Amino acid sequence: MFASLSIAMYLLGLVLRNQQLVTVAVVLLSFLTWAAMRTAHGDVSSTGRRIEDSKIDEGIQLQNIAALRKISAARVFEDGEIDVTLRLQNRSNISKVLELRDRVPEVMRIKKGANYVLMEIGPQRETEISYTIEAPLRGFYTIGPVCIRVQDEFGLFHNEREIQLYDDFLVFPKMEDIKDAMIKSRVPKIFTGAVNIRNPGEGSNFYNLREYLPGDPMRKINWKATARQDGKMMVNEFERDAVSDVILIVDSREVSETGPVSRNSLVYSTRAAASLAQYFLSRRDSVGLVVYGDEIVSVDRDTGKKQLYILLTKLAGAMAKGNTPLKIVTNRIMPHIHRGSPIIILSPLEDDPTIVDAVRDLRARSFEVTILSPSSLEFEFDARRLDRTGYEVLKTERDILMTELRGLGAYVMDWEPDMLLYTALAGARGF
Amino acid sequence: MAEEVEGKGPVDTSNLYEGKVVRSSAPSRRKAAGTLKKSTDIPEDAVPEVLVPSWVETIFGGPVVAKRDFLAPDRMVVSLQVWSSAALLILCFLTFMLTPVSGTAWFAVSNIVGMDVLGMVFHLGLILIGLVGGFYGIFQRDQRAMLASYIALIVVTIRFAGSKVEFGLSFLPEGEVVQKILLILYAIFLVMYIEISSGIIRFSILDTSIRTGEVYVMNVNKISGRYSRALGITPTIAGFVAMLTLFINLIVPAFVGIFDQVAANRLKESVELTSVYGVALGTILVFMIIASMFAINLPLKIQQYLERQS
Repeated sequence: MFASLSIAMYLLGLVLRNQQLVTVAVVLLSFLTWAAMRTAHGDVSSTGRRIEDSKIDEGIQLQNIAALRKISAARVFEDGEIDVTLRLQNRSNISKVLELRDRVPEVMRIKKGANYVLMEIGPQRETEISYTIEAPLRGFYTIGPVCIRVQDEFGLFHNEREIQLYDDFLVFPKMEDIKDAMIKSRVPKIFTGAVNIRNPGEGSNFYNLREYLPGDPMRKINWKATARQDGKMMVNEFERDAVSDVILIVDSREVSETGPVSRNSLVYSTRAAASLAQYFLSRRDSVGLVVYGDEIVSVDRDTGKKQLYILLTKLAGAMAKGNTPLKIVTNRIMPHIHRGSPIIILSPLEDDPTIVDAVRDLRARSFEVTILSPSSLEFEFDARRLDRTGYEVLKTERDILMTELRGLGAYVMDWEPDMLLYTALAGARGF
Repeated sequence: MAEEVEGKGPVDTSNLYEGKVVRSSAPSRRKAAGTLKKSTDIPEDAVPEVLVPSWVETIFGGPVVAKRDFLAPDRMVVSLQVWSSAALLILCFLTFMLTPVSGTAWFAVSNIVGMDVLGMVFHLGLILIGLVGGFYGIFQRDQRAMLASYIALIVVTIRFAGSKVEFGLSFLPEGEVVQKILLILYAIFLVMYIEISSGIIRFSILDTSIRTGEVYVMNVNKISGRYSRALGITPTIAGFVAMLTLFINLIVPAFVGIFDQVAANRLKESVELTSVYGVALGTILVFMIIASMFAINLPLKIQQYLERQS
């Protein structure tokens, strides 16, 4: 702008033969030229530069600047913090005034320190910048590049350079401690595990008393109960311990992201899935995961800590895309899971005409279906994106759909935004 | 409620209230939200905000002045405000001295109207706008007032003039060298006023960012010290370059005089060389030297040399 102004004044001064104007223009031009020279913008008027010379555009002053970054963790849970330490070296013998910005993902919050620093770095000196970021949302993220800028004192010219230094990290959905989700399979697996499946068998928890049958081991006889029954032999029955196959189905269709970025159905679903996975795996159950959106991503059932990390990674990367119907998902997975296994569906139950059919099919094959439905109506209503009338009508429709699903024998819970997962699950199980 | 909904779109929910039909799927809430309201207008928040630039912004490629809120000025900003207001005072005085009303458009208009005093009032009014607007802009840190002040102080110099330098006050010295030095001083103060007042905004932004934790500044005194030094050095250099261009009518004859004294004398007496066209010639000569420095990437080479020392 200054250059245009000075040229305009200069030309106008010549036309009007006004020496005042011309003098002002000359002073302004000299001012700009000096500033350009100070920032080594000598290349601005040179011609015939080759492509390999393009590095010069970054400014020679920035060539000797090097950066090194260290992050405290590559995996955190939502609301977790990462400490970033950026070491900057000036390898030249000239002192430099630098503007530095370490680029962090937009959703991250700077908790402590600053990622934008203005500094003077002395010759052959090194300096360290530390800041802490808070990761409020799950996902894969990258810190970097490091943008450095040197400019003249008046801020008229500048040279910039990006140091291609990247650090990736993963934010897992946060998990809620659910003490007892009350979801138990009726079908045992071959080996004995930790889950009570509410069928009598060889286990550790007392289930019932019954009359003695020939062949029952003597150690099972409950002598006190026998005495009370006037000599009728009574034996203890125990619950059969087993490991369940728990299948978590997470709806990550486009519609599941309706609502604010941090409060929508997908965010809640992934958090719930992570909490459930952790809970079941800690009970030595085997947990499988299906995430469906534009495609069906599945993680085969397995147990252990490693499985938890696999599941969390998949949940961290779940993107709201596509519109695959639930029926397609259930048709695909049904042949591969044991009948009677608990299936937990996490979905807003919107824009899918196949939901009822899918649940009916699952129920017909004796699967225990639990549906946790984060209500995006509430998210949108809270965010004032939905008027009262629309909300009431849609709420009624949603209630009717849920009633229908309950009629099919599924445990359904309308999960409202401020409700804890444990409460929602307890509600779904009718306790 | 059901009546409102009836027949307004593809989502017909009236059947739900009579209990005849039970829907088998969740309704499309997005579609419904558009049709369930009493009016069929698109909800306001459903339309993304689009900022259409005004024609002025289109010309300048963005807002001319950004409206900002600053925290109370710190020591650096206060000292810049003092410097800037001092520069403005001197500038306004120099403007008043060096820019006569004769030759200006408002002078011509007032002559046509037959009220000469109007032209003078307008002329002084412009200087006053520059002064008051400048002070307001400096102390309120209002870029709009600053811009108005810049424009007023530049517009006041726009006049049809003869080749000869003419000043607003008659008692000013007639000597060419003194006149040109006064002109350069005026130009330097104008440029410095513009620079320091924009510096107030820049440092206010920086100060606000520091205090809100958006930016961290290491060694703030060194950085502001560099700026203060530059405020001293840059106008000196700009003044020197301007002097070279303005005194070309003395430099060129002196140079030619080495070879031919007669030609040098003729050049010295040339009206064109002492007029604004002489300044133009001076500008061409001086800036040709500067341009050739840029063409061979001299600043870059100097910088490379300094870096290579490391």
